[in-house]
Amino acid sequence: MNLKYLYALIITAAIFATAFYIANRFNQSRIADIRATQEAVSVDILSLETQFELLGNLDCQAISDNPVLSDELNSLASRLSVAEQNLGANNAEVISLKKQYSLLEIKDYILMREISQKCTKLKPVYILYFYSNSGDCADCNKMGDVLTYLRQTYPGLRVYSFDYHLDLSALRTLVTLRKIDGAKGLPAFVVNNKAPVYGFKTLQEMQKLIPELKTLATSTPIQ
Amino acid sequence: MDIGTVGVYCSFFLALYFEVFLLISFFEKKPAAKTSSRPARYPMAAVLVPCWNKAATLGPTIESLLALDYPKDKLSIVIIDDGSTDNTYEEALKFAHHPQVTVFQKQNEGSKYSALNYGLAKTESELVGCLDADSFVAPDALLEIVKHFEVDPQTMAVAPAMKVHRPHNVLELMQTVEYTFGIFYKKMFDNIGAISVLPGPFSFYRRSLFDQIGGFRKAYHTEDMEMAFRMQSHGLKIANVHTALVYTNVPSSLGALVRQRTRWSRGFLENSKDYSYMYFNPKYGHFGLLVLPFGLSAFLLALYVAGFTLYNLLSLVLNKVFILYATGIPLGLPASYKVDWLYLNTDMMLFVTAAVLMFTFVAIAIGSRIAETRLGLKHLAAYFVLFGLVAPLWLARATWDTVLSRERGWLV
Repeated sequence: MNLKYLYALIITAAIFATAFYIANRFNQSRIADIRATQEAVSVDILSLETQFELLGNLDCQAISDNPVLSDELNSLASRLSVAEQNLGANNAEVISLKKQYSLLEIKDYILMREISQKCTKLKPVYILYFYSNSGDCADCNKMGDVLTYLRQTYPGLRVYSFDYHLDLSALRTLVTLRKIDGAKGLPAFVVNNKAPVYGFKTLQEMQKLIPELKTLATSTPIQ
Repeated sequence: MDIGTVGVYCSFFLALYFEVFLLISFFEKKPAAKTSSRPARYPMAAVLVPCWNKAATLGPTIESLLALDYPKDKLSIVIIDDGSTDNTYEEALKFAHHPQVTVFQKQNEGSKYSALNYGLAKTESELVGCLDADSFVAPDALLEIVKHFEVDPQTMAVAPAMKVHRPHNVLELMQTVEYTFGIFYKKMFDNIGAISVLPGPFSFYRRSLFDQIGGFRKAYHTEDMEMAFRMQSHGLKIANVHTALVYTNVPSSLGALVRQRTRWSRGFLENSKDYSYMYFNPKYGHFGLLVLPFGLSAFLLALYVAGFTLYNLLSLVLNKVFILYATGIPLGLPASYKVDWLYLNTDMMLFVTAAVLMFTFVAIAIGSRIAETRLGLKHLAAYFVLFGLVAPLWLARATWDTVLSRERGWLV
């Protein structure tokens, strides 16, 4: 009689272990996929940089018509967010991926600035957004929602999101260069080359802060 | 992982453990197929039909009893009108001319047990069964039961396999699957000697049982459950005869269903309290070690999981509404959906839930095979979508009533 209780316990524990294993495998696949995408984006950026250096100029029309890189970065951001939810923000692999992602964002940002200087007709609108997951930014979720909405509404808008507390020297340099002071409160963001703005802003306030948005095409009618 | 989620994992572990245990029991002893053999002897049998305001269904119930494949001189039908306020008594009198049928009328005493004891006193038959006046028996149901009593002299009471009679609406379809699931686990409880209820529709008892442990008790309007608990406490054997089929009408409205199930759930809680000495007591076998503790755990954990889910759902919705309000983002659907597994939440909970659902499905499929119930997609959809939503209603209500010691009466 007692053996049946033991067998049931072993089988149930085995089912739970299998569920844990499958979930782990899915997470590993997710990580591998993100890493592969990041490598692809990295190669794209390197290719664009090389072209830029070789020719000293580019086909400006091709760049303005082809926001592939931006799409890839946005897709990476969503995948990283899901991985962070599943594995936790303190997971070593998630942190490593976030660092790599931040580096790609910085490289894309620098490249876009250089390209826009050469291609004068190109007037990119970009936001450097600094958030925190460390419990010191109550409004970061709301701000993230506003920026996500803006990015979906204006596909030409480039939003570069950075975890302010991420231990990455390149990010620290960017923070210093753009004079972001976390002590003044997060979220913080920089629109194009303007001065940093601190605190949560509603959608309407963001639209007032970034009049350049009117120059960008929209994917859906603005409400 | 937060403490709330840990609680949900514990609940799922217990649910899965219980299902696995029953499946092991199934593979140890599979239910035997129906045979065409007949009993060597036909003992005197009486069927008590207590009825309160059952004028609409009493006729077909009695007709199904009269159509039983059993010697007419060996079977008597005792109708007890329990103070109905409709024309149940007049309906009963329509059968009074039949030599097998006797009709009695008594004053209602607020619970079914008194009608059963009243009927019990009116018969001397060797086997005594009962049948709710909204249920209908298969012609060979009594034969199957008698065969079992003959084969196993130790068996003191027998429960049949209950099926839903002509389900139409979505709640009835849901209950069809629930009853099919019930056929599986009642058979498995039989395998481990731990049946916990002798339902009103066509449970049968040896007459000597009542001499030994007494008649029915009020037992919070769940005399069928209390009788099974009392039998288990005396070490008396209860069997499930899956080949004896009974069809019963089930509540078709949410209100009636919640009232009926509140009564059952309340009965379980109160009887559990009265028989608490049986919990975790090896003296009472699997009934004390498994069925009672798991029944109570399932009751409480189902409430917990429902509360946890409701809390999370409300938090999510309120948070979303607050964010929409605070951010000024217009309400609308996303511009595009990306179907990609990478965006799915594939944490352990997903796979554990899938395992619990899969085992439930297997149990239902076995129950369906045992009782030859045909289940379609609409039955399964009704069950898997609705049951988790409505069951917490009666569990919460029964808990509330128990805490407040509130008397609701025999409502259904």
